Amino acid sequence: MRRLIAAAVVGLALLTGCTSTAASGDEPIGDRPVRVTTTTNFITDTVERIGGASVEVTGLMGPGVDPHLYRASAGDVQTLRDADVIFYGGLQLEGRMAELLDELAARQLTRAVTEEIPRAQLLAPAPGTDEEYDPHVWFDVELWKQVSRTIATTLSERDPARAADYAANLDAYLAELTELDAYVAQRMAQIPPERRLLVTSHDAFEYFGRRYGLEVAGIQGISTAAEATTADVERVAELISARGVPAVFVESSVPRQTIDALIAAAAQRGATVTVGGELYTDAAGSPGTPEGTYVGMLRANADLIADGLGS
Amino acid sequence: MSDDVVIVVVAGLVATACGLLGPFLVLRRIALLSDAVSHAVLPGIVAVWLVWQTRAPLPVVVGAAAFAVLCVLGIDALRATGLMASDAAIALVFPALFSLGVLGVTRYADGIHLDLDSTIYGEIAFVPFDSVDLGGGVGVARAAVTLAVVVLLNLAMVTLLWKELKATTFDPAFGATVRLRPQLLSRLLLVAVAVTAVAAFEAVGAILVVTMLIVPAATAYLLTDRLVVMVALAVGVGWVGAVAGHALAVTYDSSIAGAMGLVCSACFVVALLLSPKHGLLTRRLRRTTPRESPAPRP
Repeated sequence: MRRLIAAAVVGLALLTGCTSTAASGDEPIGDRPVRVTTTTNFITDTVERIGGASVEVTGLMGPGVDPHLYRASAGDVQTLRDADVIFYGGLQLEGRMAELLDELAARQLTRAVTEEIPRAQLLAPAPGTDEEYDPHVWFDVELWKQVSRTIATTLSERDPARAADYAANLDAYLAELTELDAYVAQRMAQIPPERRLLVTSHDAFEYFGRRYGLEVAGIQGISTAAEATTADVERVAELISARGVPAVFVESSVPRQTIDALIAAAAQRGATVTVGGELYTDAAGSPGTPEGTYVGMLRANADLIADGLGS
Repeated sequence: MSDDVVIVVVAGLVATACGLLGPFLVLRRIALLSDAVSHAVLPGIVAVWLVWQTRAPLPVVVGAAAFAVLCVLGIDALRATGLMASDAAIALVFPALFSLGVLGVTRYADGIHLDLDSTIYGEIAFVPFDSVDLGGGVGVARAAVTLAVVVLLNLAMVTLLWKELKATTFDPAFGATVRLRPQLLSRLLLVAVAVTAVAAFEAVGAILVVTMLIVPAATAYLLTDRLVVMVALAVGVGWVGAVAGHALAVTYDSSIAGAMGLVCSACFVVALLLSPKHGLLTRRLRRTTPRESPAPRP
């Protein structure tokens, strides 16, 4: 016992010696690239596009990672410590990591990319929970333009010497987003109006539906952890058979059992439904592929939805 | 103090808090209690959301602790009926509470991210970033402070009630005859486990806590027949897991809690094979008489 007490005392003595290593948050960047740490991979991509050669971006979350269930690795500690700027999604997208990001904001420039989107343009996911907004803003390209502007101003704030570069990159990127927005809208317009019903496993596409004129029916709620109830499945199956919707979609970060149950339930009602494919939701595809970028991810989703619903 | 040292110290504090209690759980055959608690806290989190509409750490921990205590006391009550063994008692209580939590989430919190990962389970990698000022401008990791308090409470309980815990662990009937009230001691121990588990979940996540409560104690069980040595060894093995696991995680840039758990399990395998007295290989090499009982003497 005495040994244990001694060990505890030594441990406590060690701890009281702890000082927090304050990261320097505002010394000039100089000639080196700005070190940026991001959470999801489509934020990583957007920062790379706006920062260009002036930034060195490290993303914490790879393709197929549900940001909400992300597990840190040992190297992430240093990646966060070393960052000049940290970008994250905000609106509770990162789950409990939000607390950590709040802490970091005291010492490093830490910004939620959705921070400057007017709250009136955000969706509250459920009645009675109005302080909780739906975080899946990236599916509305118009909102992502605001996100891009926020990224550009934040980079300029930390590295004013290269503000002109960031502004030029932003303009080029915004032009690309305008083109993307038009492309997605055009693809959705090809779907016959009565079939504009997007059925997916969880409620990630509300912004997409609002922007591009699709009705959205998620089988389960916004949390990827809640399981769909039988009533949810029955309700959506009813809707599908009534509307003659030919395809439903699975998501890259959600298991597909629920969708399979739904197809079976629709078949009982005499409706033939196929799986239209796997949509990118909370993460873009692998780096190096077209779907590994924000623009590529939205294009891929739009094509899949338009083809599946029979444009 | 560097981030690495803070992480190792916090893991070591978890190892200490768990190592003090783990041996009693293993000897009383209720080792899986910590895993039960890790699931049983869900309704507490839902209740906190329903009543206060918050996911802030403090109320969540209080709600979770309430249900953790409910869970362990429920298990103890079922065991006390004598109608079922400990394993069945554990398996009966926590799925019921977890189901209640899942129902609560689907019924009342469908629209938000409300689950164990986003509310109560912490991440040990992020422990150094969350510090509190204890006066004098000295920042200390918040998790280290919480866990140090838990360590001291557990240490106090185990030292003050050492004889009583020992007697009731090995021979509850004898304990009762000398008026030790084994039921009360058992409840006290279980509540300590519940509180330790919830405090540690919040600081470092579930997997590390479940590992540290069971694996070092089970390893120590194979290495000694004396309870006091078993407790010391359990704490020691936990620290080995913390230090070596962290080094492993840094080398391979992987999950810190996962690597620590793996090192603890590796220690267990080594003990299983090479324990001087009970090791499978040692016994074979010595060619001693088989069927040696591994139970420690009180």
